Amino acid sequence: MSSGLQNQKMLELGGERLKLLGNHAELLMDAYIRGEFDEAAVGERVLQKLIQARILWRPDDAYGLKLRPQIANMIAGLIADESRRQAHADVSGELDRIEATAISYTEAQHKGNYSYADLQLQLLTEAVYDLTGQFEEAIDSLWQRLNSHFGFVASLTDKIRENELAHKQIHRLLEGLELVRVDEMITLAGTSSELRKLLVVYLNQKLSVHHASLLAVQERMTELLTRFRAQQERSLLVAGMAAYLRQHPDFEPGDYSWRASLPDLLNQAKPLVPAVSVAIDRATDAEAMAELVNETPVRPTRIKRLQEVRTKPTAIAHGETAALQVKQERLKQDVESFYLSVLAAGKGKPVRALDYLAQQGLDWDGEIWLYQVISEYQGLPIEERKLFRLTYSETPMSYFNQVQLVKDIELQFMADGAQ
Amino acid sequence: MMPYGSLVEYLLSGQFVCEVTAPEMHQKLAQDDVRNVIDEYLRPLNRRVAQSEDGAVYFLAWNELTPEIREQLKQQFSTTMHALLPLLDWMQIVQESLGKDGTIAPGDTIKLHEFVQKTEDHQGLRQRFGQLAADKFFNSQAEQLDAQAKTVFKRLKEHGYLTQPHADRQYYIATGKVDYLIELVRFIKDEENLPVEESSTQEELWS
Repeated sequence: MSSGLQNQKMLELGGERLKLLGNHAELLMDAYIRGEFDEAAVGERVLQKLIQARILWRPDDAYGLKLRPQIANMIAGLIADESRRQAHADVSGELDRIEATAISYTEAQHKGNYSYADLQLQLLTEAVYDLTGQFEEAIDSLWQRLNSHFGFVASLTDKIRENELAHKQIHRLLEGLELVRVDEMITLAGTSSELRKLLVVYLNQKLSVHHASLLAVQERMTELLTRFRAQQERSLLVAGMAAYLRQHPDFEPGDYSWRASLPDLLNQAKPLVPAVSVAIDRATDAEAMAELVNETPVRPTRIKRLQEVRTKPTAIAHGETAALQVKQERLKQDVESFYLSVLAAGKGKPVRALDYLAQQGLDWDGEIWLYQVISEYQGLPIEERKLFRLTYSETPMSYFNQVQLVKDIELQFMADGAQ
Repeated sequence: MMPYGSLVEYLLSGQFVCEVTAPEMHQKLAQDDVRNVIDEYLRPLNRRVAQSEDGAVYFLAWNELTPEIREQLKQQFSTTMHALLPLLDWMQIVQESLGKDGTIAPGDTIKLHEFVQKTEDHQGLRQRFGQLAADKFFNSQAEQLDAQAKTVFKRLKEHGYLTQPHADRQYYIATGKVDYLIELVRFIKDEENLPVEESSTQEELWS
């Protein structure tokens, strides 16, 4: 009966105080963030209530009112604030409580005081859940930190510091786990199936899962720390070298290239672009080549020229005039081939017009040939003319006559259009 | 037909192969036997596959070093040395502007727009970047930050430190060559015994 009354009292008081938290939620959160409660925001009566309810306290007369650590920790847990969340692993204290309650339960059972035994069992269950819950909470907090890469602190050095703290925490948690010994739990449970279920099966299972998670989180933390350190080292190296080079603008490193064993880092081969041209010396490729040619887009000027040719009425020529026209057309074609061969020779490689004439075994008179090369050059549209450079090789007609005679012509392909 | 034709051609053209620029090629080159086959093939061209310390980048090195080649390497190194400060400066500015924890690393994405916006808002960075863009290495004549940034990033792309996955979208990814550069810096620091701190004891100086 008395315990029922007590429960009723606790219920009332607890409810009242929780409401107190709710009623002043914003002010309390403000205190959580700023570190101090704004005393001017509420009346003296409310202030006293909050202090009485063990929500606020004044650690020192010189300081303002602060949240009690349990309250701050509760808020940190509720909002998963990793910078404030604390994981306690006071395992030995918890274990003492579990042991005492288990013994008390067994005694009550022996005495036949079942209602008391039930109460003890309930307390024991809570104690066991508390213990495993603590680890769960701590591990959850560690994973959160890990997955956010300690995003709650800004600088890399702070992250490294936080990571080191987390390492210590993991260490303590692992030590705590080792305090729980299965053989002791088995002895404690004795013959009671209830205790066995709770202390041996449940606790053990949970703790071994926690143990595995802790090891996993520890490994990942180490990886992350290594990465942080490497990042830090790189940043410092870059900053340090940049600062050094700025302070020593005349800095010249040694000549490493003559070393007997040159590190690969400094041995970088010159680029080599394997050039390939269209080849028609293999009959089997002829079809593919023809296709390629067909696919090559025709330049607009060329199209225009073709259209002009088509639309222009062709003068009907007879006899000598016709023969002359054919010859003229052939000369023009040969000169065009010459221009193409200059293109094929590549950028910046001059080709001499008379050399080409001789090589190709063409039967044009040298002078006519040169004349046609020049007139073809002048007939090119300006933007295309820029692609070629025409150079005259000239000699004076004689010692007394300084009229320059064109002996030969060099034609050069200039890809970028430079004159 | 050569089984790794395109890979060999890519290497011959002087490219660095890393996980970012060419993941498939990188995977192939990570295999010893593939490298052996390619080395054998390249022997008449006096070239072989070389890699950075951790195998993050592969490139072609000379197989045998003749005096001419050593002379050429010397010049190449001197060119790199001249580009070193602008490159390091750029790395620092990017890190500060984007508020990153560490120096830019292979695989890091930089959105040009974001970089310009954040640099614009910061007078000090804006000024430093302006100076950097005008440096011989980047050689931007522009006054506008946007145009300067475009030139700088384009140059870095040409030099293989960045790749641009879509030609029409202004975002870039750092390549393994960034790591190569850092390795080079470390090498020079160690060789010349430069008083450049790598440990965290001096961090307050830089932050």
